[in-house]
Amino acid sequence: MKVSFDRFQKLWRGQDDFRLRELNCGITLKVACLDTMCDDAKVSEFVLQPLAYVVEARSIKEVEQKLAAGTGVRQPPNLFAAVEDFTNGYTLVFDEKNNCLSVDTRTVVGRSIAEPPTSMVMRGPREGFVEDVKVNVTLIRKRLKTPNLKIVNLAVGKYTNTAVAVCYIEGIAEQRIVDDVVQRLQSVKTDGVLDSSYLARYLDINKTFLFRRVGSTEKPDIAVGKMLEGRLAVIVDGSPMVLTLPYLFVEDMQSPGDYYENETMTTLSRTLRFISVIASVLLPALYVCLQVYNYQIIPLRFLITVLNASEAIPFSPLTEMLLVLVVFDILREANLRMPSAVGISLSLVGAIVLGDAAVQAGLLGAPAVMIGALSGIGLFTLPDNTLILSLLRLAVTFIGGVMGLLGVIVSTLWIVVYLCSMQDYKTPFLAPFAPDIPEDRQDAVAQISVPNMKKRPRSIPNENRERRG
Amino acid sequence: MKNRVSIDQLALMYILLVMGGKFLTLPSLLAKDVGHDSWLSVTFSFVWDGICLCFLLWAIRMNGTAKMDLSAILDNSVTKPVSKAVLAIFFVIFVLRVNVLLSSCYKMFSVTFDVSTNWIVYVLPVAALSFFAVSKGFNAIARTGQLLFGLILLSVLALFVSPFMQTEWGALLPLGEAGWGKILLTSYTRSFWFSDYIFIYFVLDGIKTKKHVFAPMLVSFGVGAFLCILLNAVFVALFGYLAPNFDLAMSKIGVFSAASTTNGRWDWLTLSIWLVSVFIKVVVYTFCAYKCVEKLVGAHFVKFNWIAAGIVTLTFTLPLFVTTDRLLDTVIKWGIIPFTLVQYVLPLLMPLFTHIAKRRTEVAHE
Repeated sequence: MKVSFDRFQKLWRGQDDFRLRELNCGITLKVACLDTMCDDAKVSEFVLQPLAYVVEARSIKEVEQKLAAGTGVRQPPNLFAAVEDFTNGYTLVFDEKNNCLSVDTRTVVGRSIAEPPTSMVMRGPREGFVEDVKVNVTLIRKRLKTPNLKIVNLAVGKYTNTAVAVCYIEGIAEQRIVDDVVQRLQSVKTDGVLDSSYLARYLDINKTFLFRRVGSTEKPDIAVGKMLEGRLAVIVDGSPMVLTLPYLFVEDMQSPGDYYENETMTTLSRTLRFISVIASVLLPALYVCLQVYNYQIIPLRFLITVLNASEAIPFSPLTEMLLVLVVFDILREANLRMPSAVGISLSLVGAIVLGDAAVQAGLLGAPAVMIGALSGIGLFTLPDNTLILSLLRLAVTFIGGVMGLLGVIVSTLWIVVYLCSMQDYKTPFLAPFAPDIPEDRQDAVAQISVPNMKKRPRSIPNENRERRG
Repeated sequence: MKNRVSIDQLALMYILLVMGGKFLTLPSLLAKDVGHDSWLSVTFSFVWDGICLCFLLWAIRMNGTAKMDLSAILDNSVTKPVSKAVLAIFFVIFVLRVNVLLSSCYKMFSVTFDVSTNWIVYVLPVAALSFFAVSKGFNAIARTGQLLFGLILLSVLALFVSPFMQTEWGALLPLGEAGWGKILLTSYTRSFWFSDYIFIYFVLDGIKTKKHVFAPMLVSFGVGAFLCILLNAVFVALFGYLAPNFDLAMSKIGVFSAASTTNGRWDWLTLSIWLVSVFIKVVVYTFCAYKCVEKLVGAHFVKFNWIAAGIVTLTFTLPLFVTTDRLLDTVIKWGIIPFTLVQYVLPLLMPLFTHIAKRRTEVAHE
């Protein structure tokens, strides 16, 4: 297991942060580290100080024994592994015979653990994942104190060499799924992985262009909860989003706080989310096609109100509704990119002023603005699929406006067939509703109390159905 | 794998197929033939359907792990030419049924929902939906049915409740006024609308059999048949001698529902939900027609075959050349015997054919 020092040194020629020290401890040793990636104190404490006391070392083996203060000391098997360690912040020690040791002296640069802004909860743990893979694994291991927690470490990306950890619980997760995921990650050929979402695309077997097929969470308690059901967690260095898979559509209906609330309240909230999502996608389309083709369905008084509000509008109901939806989407997109200090106030002003001004000017009708806003807000109950549902809403509205109820029925059926056809890692996307798996409905829309959840879901492949061992 | 379906999914799909389509033009046609005894005619049709279904289920149970499809069973039991002839008849049945369903829906949209488009513009999105579903496999279609089943059943019940309460059941008396012979003959001549179980022939190789094959299917048959008979009875009882004049039973029955112009015609929304079952039926029959083409050309389409889809789509344009009434008259005149053979005689022989095919396959393997 030789690593040529000369070849190694050539790779770093001309780099200012490359540090090299030569020491004599009986044999001549060369100590190399990257100033920007290593912690000076650790280099000094775990490498230089121990070596300073060594006077008569005869081999690299003896040197390795003297570096006992360092927790992570190993011999990289080849130049490639040595470079990988080096770029990750390890200090390398070479002897004259091209034997090499790497000592963990990584610096900890990153934010501290905090509550993730996308998954705030009223009750329950407030810890969130950070960008450091090691910290994230710690957060998971802190909650799973069992030797059955297995972690497969990989490096993905030709230039970024991003550390990826696949975590699962042995005896619960199905080994075939684990092997499949690891194999897929190993076969990723890319220049770099900057975030877990890069890998999510590689893990989507059917390459679906609409809905997300890989779950993500910023909360370790949620990741562990999913692992306890047989799922895998994929942690990517540099990303606070941990991927979980296999993924079900119904997971997007579940909020991090659901498991810390009363089950009746949870059921109620989930039902509301479910209704609001369906209403958000279909309401604008129904409004348009009822107004254009089937106004008889609308109660007379309501119809009169709608007609009064929209008689002076210069656009057709379809154009009017599409305008409202597009404006709402523009506001949402702008709000995401605005600095948070002004974002809320500007979006509020934008929504109120724009909406009110458009109604006052007679460009848009108040009912259309109200339905557009209601539908827009409703979509946010499904935060992970908001964008795609927004796109589908526009499509269904357009088709409904052109073809009436026939268009709404056909396009809705199209979406349902598409959703029903999706299946990754032996997991139907719409389970436990299509296919119907009665046992799994205990934690779908309605939720039973945690003590009564005695079985793991059948929708997720697992090796042990009993939740208690 | 793409066409795998469980018995429960099959049972739910069967109810949807029984309910979808039979509440459009059929009640008025039956009323035209036998007046207020139309529900008796429907009952007789379902009795025969029930017997045939039992035989077919027996065949499914015998097929078990052999997972032979209809073509394989017929090839191995009767000769290949007979098998092809049966598939050709099935192809014609499915194409005609799709056309009848589509033209009834077309009428529903133009008359009830005031959406008037030409046939091509109407049919193309439905054909696109059907072939999209076909490309995803029967598994996806069965799951769709399973997902929407509750909603569709609720919509049917919602449409039924109020008219049911207002029905004067005495209007159905005297029983058999049209003559029992005529009632039975009508069951036979209108048999084209029944035997919805025939789609099962084309998923035989994908059925995940379990211990109880009969129970879920017979329950679903019972529920579907009961609702159909009830609707026909309600329809003729409510409209009396005017019933033959109302083409679209389901939309007319809605007049008696709780909805009104002042409160809004909410029944139309429930009607639209029920129409989903009609489109599911169209999708299922398109799938079967596509499978017929696959088996007729003797190929196994691993991927979606655009040529086969094109052939089936072309048949969707039939109503451009012949009116549906004319089509139905021709069917009764020329096609009733071959159709009856595959709809009602073939199921009775299926257990025997399956047994023979299984034996011959086993012998060939040995």
